[in-house]
Amino acid sequence: MASRKKPQLPKSVLDMKFMKKTKDRIEKEIENTQDIEGLYSNVITNEMRHASGNYISESSFVYCEDLLEGRLSFKGMNPEIERLMALEYKKDDDDTSEIKKDVSDDILSKKMESLKKRKWSSSPSECIIKKKKNK
Amino acid sequence: MKISIGDVVLPGDYCEEISQVAEKSKVIIGPGLRKEVDRVYITKPGVLKKRNPGTFWVDSYQKRYVPSRGENVIGVVVQKAGDIFRVEIGGSITAALSYLSFEGATKKNRPEVQVGDVVYAKMLVASKDMEPELVCVDSHGKKGRLGVLSDGFVFKCSLNLIRKILNPNCPLLETLKNEWPFEVAAGMNGRIWIKANSMRETIAVGNAILGAEYLNDEEIRSMCNNIAAILAGHVS
Repeated sequence: MASRKKPQLPKSVLDMKFMKKTKDRIEKEIENTQDIEGLYSNVITNEMRHASGNYISESSFVYCEDLLEGRLSFKGMNPEIERLMALEYKKDDDDTSEIKKDVSDDILSKKMESLKKRKWSSSPSECIIKKKKNK
Repeated sequence: MKISIGDVVLPGDYCEEISQVAEKSKVIIGPGLRKEVDRVYITKPGVLKKRNPGTFWVDSYQKRYVPSRGENVIGVVVQKAGDIFRVEIGGSITAALSYLSFEGATKKNRPEVQVGDVVYAKMLVASKDMEPELVCVDSHGKKGRLGVLSDGFVFKCSLNLIRKILNPNCPLLETLKNEWPFEVAAGMNGRIWIKANSMRETIAVGNAILGAEYLNDEEIRSMCNNIAAILAGHVS
């Protein structure tokens, strides 16, 4: 692929006298790449070329089954490990609470208040809507 | 033979459900499954399992450890060879553990690891054709939960048991954790290291883990409560 993208010299330049060595080299390169493609053409099938990447193989059970970390300590046997466990637990907790609340309480209360105000101010428009509904 | 999720499967069987899912989205095919040109084939005997979304694997009984990348294992240092330690992890060959892959280690400041020490390490390189490589630090250079395991007691068990007790739904550790102080390190290579304050407590943890292999959740709970009661009765 990389060789195809390489900038190539125009033929007119290659035909010049002082470019003879370069011309020979380029011809040799082209010959070589063609040889390689020919060499494996019977081994590489079309299916191999078009094999899609929808399959990810994973040799470990840890990621398939979503297992716990294997090093654990309980009731203060190893405070260092327990600190790490607490940190991890806290992180998980934060994640779930964030998922539950898309909009925080503060923002929601402010928004609701502004909505209420708007209702007071925009009573005429409500009448219009009602009229429309009647039609 | 054509099989589906939850079936007992044998090598050579194939599963069309996996191929169907793969047409729409990405699938992760775990241990015991192999993608060939036309189908997904089973390569280990066991039970075909699925976890949403799109993770498949074969749950098989196994005692031989085959190293795979990213797993935490317990090994015994068997040799110091220049820049590396050779660590026996129960695989086909020993794994290499560089002395620089410990927290705070430099060329001048070597970690204090002796032959015969038990280490809890992460598998960094696990390839079919090369020696596996271990590290005792994470990508930030911190040791985290890895490192040399001092004192305690190591025993071996089947690879299934390790997966069973580390499953987040397993009641074993959940029941034991409020009973007495103990520390446990479970390596995916079928070795467990435990440490408690007294020999009696250590044996109790070990027996609870080994006894859980063929029990269901309810039986595990009652066994743990039994062990805790016996231990409390003897101690007080």
